[in-house]
Amino acid sequence: MHLDEEQVQRLLHGELPPQAASAVREHVAGCIDCRRRLAEAEREENEVHTLLHAVDDPAPPRISAEAVAVRAQASRVVPGPPVVDLAWLRRAAAILIVVGIAGAAYAVPGSPVREWVHAIVERMGGRPGPTPGPAPGESPAIGAGISVLPEQKLVILFQSAEGDGQVFVSLTDEPEVQVHAPTGAASFTSSADQLLIAVQDPSATFEVEIPRSAPWVEIQTGKGQIFLKEGERVTTKGSKDAVGGYLFRLAPSEK
Amino acid sequence: MEPETTPSFHERFVELFEAHFHSVYRYLNRLSGDPELAADVAQEAFAKLYQRGSLPDVPEAWVISVAMNLFRNAATTRSRRLRLLTPARGENVLSDPPPAPDAAVEAEDTRRRVRSALDRMSERERHMLLLRAEGLSYRDIAAALLMNEASVGVLLARARRAFRKIYEESSGAS
Repeated sequence: MHLDEEQVQRLLHGELPPQAASAVREHVAGCIDCRRRLAEAEREENEVHTLLHAVDDPAPPRISAEAVAVRAQASRVVPGPPVVDLAWLRRAAAILIVVGIAGAAYAVPGSPVREWVHAIVERMGGRPGPTPGPAPGESPAIGAGISVLPEQKLVILFQSAEGDGQVFVSLTDEPEVQVHAPTGAASFTSSADQLLIAVQDPSATFEVEIPRSAPWVEIQTGKGQIFLKEGERVTTKGSKDAVGGYLFRLAPSEK
Repeated sequence: MEPETTPSFHERFVELFEAHFHSVYRYLNRLSGDPELAADVAQEAFAKLYQRGSLPDVPEAWVISVAMNLFRNAATTRSRRLRLLTPARGENVLSDPPPAPDAAVEAEDTRRRVRSALDRMSERERHMLLLRAEGLSYRDIAAALLMNEASVGVLLARARRAFRKIYEESSGAS
């Protein structure tokens, strides 16, 4: 009986438990075939590791721990002022002043501005009146997203999940659940314990970032629960990628 | 909650940074082929460790996992918002003397083939190969890649063979 591949690799990397390691070493000492396989694995690994150095940066960056620590501390304890584009600020101030003057002129009793506005609006085929705004908590958009601070429980529900859209879920160290729709249109409606996403584009893709600190987050589509994070435990029907994310298709798997 | 930035934590952070920063940077640079992105992400991962205020059980594995997530986000959005510092490059300090012309051509050919082989491997195999090259244990590799620890050895062997196969095939194409 020879060593299996896992045993050879573990012996090479010192990953066998002590008892198993001594038994495996004993076998290798008396088995020319396993000795040859171990030597081959070692040679192969050395060769690959030597080759990998070919793509290394010959002049790696010199960054000090102190600099990173100071910067990390500053960005956490004393958040710096937001960067403001002064040219944009000046433009915004000018627009505010113009709107303010126009509003004052409109409000003065007997002002001709009032008649001009009404005349222009009528000519455009409408009457001045209240403009309907978006429903509270709802934000329809293309390529947009939403951030939600998760409470004890949060359910993220994809509605109208037809077509071949995809959802990519990853765990992050950020405090908020973030859902982005890099492609396609969707409406987001949030409440304390629920985030509804009305998928308006059958090929929309979504990126969902869930804080590792979130106690309980569930993702549902028309076919039921596809992802659940309870504390540190994750239950999922999606496929995992190599960097710890999960991929789901929005389309129902079967009719 | 304010970070517990006691001197002992700070000292341990500095020690950890000095022991592992270049390993994290090298891993990310091999992964991406983009030294600037690798430097940005490596710094950000260590900054997050510092902001955490205490060291996790296996700090180097924690930093690698955070770096992997940051790298994925950065690579997806091509965002460079993560840049913290402009790295002062150690040109002519840490580098080897310039090779002779023939050796330079050969070195460039090897570099190109290795880069191409890494880029053509499956993502999981690439991560496995590079994480192991930085000395991560099977347990840490399994944790970082969310996979079963029991099969890490077999998958590592496959990753090495896949790399070598693609690398050797590219010799005919060069």
